Amino acid sequence: MNDPAADGPELARRPHRILLVREWDQQTTGSGCCGRLEGGDSEIAGASDFGRCRQDMEAMGAVYRALREELPQLDVQVVDPRNLTFLLPGMLRDARRGGASWRESFREVRRGCGQGAIVVDGRVVSSGTIPAADAAVGMVLRQLAASAP
Amino acid sequence: MPAIVVLVVVFGVFFLGWKYYSVYLAERVYALNDAIPTPAHTLQDGIDYIPTNKHVLFGHHFTSVAGAAPIVGPAIAVFWGWVPALIWVVLGTVFAAGVHDFGAIVVSVRNRAQNIGSLTSSVINARSRTLFLIIIFFLLTLVNAVFAVVIGNLFVGNPGAVIPIVLEIPIAIALGQYMYRTKSAALIPSLFGVAALYALILVGRAFPIELDNLAAAVGMGPRTLWIVLLFLYAFVASRIPVWILLQPRDYINSHQLFIALGVIFLGLLIGLDRIVAPAINTALPDGTPNFFPFLFVTIACGAISGFHSLVASGTTSKQLDKETDARYVGYMGSLGEGSLALGAILATTAGITAVGLDWETQYPDFGTASAGAVGNFVQGIAGFASHLGIPPDLGTIFAAVVVISFAATTMDTGVRLQRYIIQELGEMIPEGGRGLGAGFKKATRNLTAVTAMAVALPLALALAPAGGEAEAQGFAFGRLWTLFGTTNQLTAGLALSVIAVYVTKSGRNAMAQIVPLVFLLFMTTWALVLNLIDFVQEGDWLLAPLDLIILVLAGWLIFEAGNAILKARREQPARQDTTVEKDSNP
Repeated sequence: MNDPAADGPELARRPHRILLVREWDQQTTGSGCCGRLEGGDSEIAGASDFGRCRQDMEAMGAVYRALREELPQLDVQVVDPRNLTFLLPGMLRDARRGGASWRESFREVRRGCGQGAIVVDGRVVSSGTIPAADAAVGMVLRQLAASAP
Repeated sequence: MPAIVVLVVVFGVFFLGWKYYSVYLAERVYALNDAIPTPAHTLQDGIDYIPTNKHVLFGHHFTSVAGAAPIVGPAIAVFWGWVPALIWVVLGTVFAAGVHDFGAIVVSVRNRAQNIGSLTSSVINARSRTLFLIIIFFLLTLVNAVFAVVIGNLFVGNPGAVIPIVLEIPIAIALGQYMYRTKSAALIPSLFGVAALYALILVGRAFPIELDNLAAAVGMGPRTLWIVLLFLYAFVASRIPVWILLQPRDYINSHQLFIALGVIFLGLLIGLDRIVAPAINTALPDGTPNFFPFLFVTIACGAISGFHSLVASGTTSKQLDKETDARYVGYMGSLGEGSLALGAILATTAGITAVGLDWETQYPDFGTASAGAVGNFVQGIAGFASHLGIPPDLGTIFAAVVVISFAATTMDTGVRLQRYIIQELGEMIPEGGRGLGAGFKKATRNLTAVTAMAVALPLALALAPAGGEAEAQGFAFGRLWTLFGTTNQLTAGLALSVIAVYVTKSGRNAMAQIVPLVFLLFMTTWALVLNLIDFVQEGDWLLAPLDLIILVLAGWLIFEAGNAILKARREQPARQDTTVEKDSNP
């Protein structure tokens, strides 16, 4: 895969951010504090409550590792789709900084706040089904190239 | 006293704690060093171990530690006056919870992101791991019991909440099915889910559901019937795969948390209500427990909560990008929890006036204060909501729906986890045995039997009668709550012991951990002894043995913690260099 730096000095200089919106594999609000075991204890007695999520988490993990390998200089963040205090302002800011209108920005936010979404500088390049790692890297590179001036 | 003044002063103290004490902890006690790679880097897999931006991680951590418990304790404790409750919340948050939550992340990060249960084994000794599991068993039992009573009381006091809460179940299931089948983004559907839930509040107000007649027909009180129904629900819900109900409802809850926080603090700012409760309640009726030591176990979550160490050392530590981020995520997370407790204090001492309630009438004695605490919180939120133009009757149902949604999800998970722990205990019995042990082992392998066991003990506790005022109301809620508080404080004590031993072994001063640890264990043991005397004198043979068991656990914990800290101090000079060397190679 190509390093975006090879596509032009402007692309390498701009602070790009990639958000990977993961599967929601844990309980949080209202039940995390007094009703949750963690780490090794979450598998006590062989329990695997969130096993169904695991496949998607592992698929997103492969995308993450591929992106870190191909584009080590970029900021890649894995975010829970419920973390709206980060996602909403973060995606809006990224999209607006990338030149999107408010209308476009909100549309991207709507699509991006879902499990399996891959967001490059506020633009959703994939959502729903998680693509294979190579395909995901290709989508990200194309979006980075497209956003270059 | 205007509530806004208290709000500003408390946030000012929290700011000072963040600005100075957390920096002292970071630099002098935990000696954070960004040159040491965290497990998120050394074990990076993109699945569990992921270096994560501290703002992202704070969002995950805070929503995980926030819940219904920091509401209930302060709502009871204001009975002693709002000043003692507030002082414990503020000092506990700054000097105990901050140290505990922040420290749990640091020690976990320095030990390959092991969780606190495993750390008790590796940092203290192998016996402590068993102690940890037993404490968690009783903690979960009490969590399920107290939250069942909380929900039962709210349903009886707010029959308009029944329809929204019951119909939240199909809404959540539909939301989950939609998201999983269509793989669509969840933001808009989940917001529709919240909107539908709140629209149902109007339906609930028009058609309140009361079980008085049905309860009379089956020879129960309405609260008792609700509690039985709730455990039936938990029995079924805890056997359903999490993605069907629990996860999508949790999604709806994640929106509700921020909506409720917004209503509390915006309503407070706009309404400028005054605190009407006494600063220190000097007119305590006979039979009121002394606030030394009971205040410090009544407010557990909101001042310090042992459960946070499970979250901090389970998920958060695996995703910490840099060691210095632990201060922001851990200490700030505890300040967030303290803010929730502050909201509960202000709702029950100031907010209730906005709906025309008289504080003295709502808090005449400890039994009534305990049983009605969450109801008073709900009324207080309705008071704050009224300043935003929401009619008080709708505001009351709204607040009840928020609290019940949180508590019901906790019960669902609590029963599920309890089932696993019972199964684990069954597996510890050797194969091929005979008698009671073999029968228990066999029963734990049957899903229905093991779920029934997980439900039976908390159900019995929730329905346990007690003497005096509590018995008049049919519930020993105040006493159950203090037992829950003591168990939660023991969990915190165990985590603080692990952190203290680690800091001591690292050659640094562990007084920041030892002082809250000694204080917590002293207050907890004192409260357990006083409770035990009462239970025995009143012939309460359900709560007395439970109290005794928790007291034995407290003694065990004091023994293990004291031993481990003294041993670490003796070995301190020789271990200093090797510890640092080990730290740098997680």
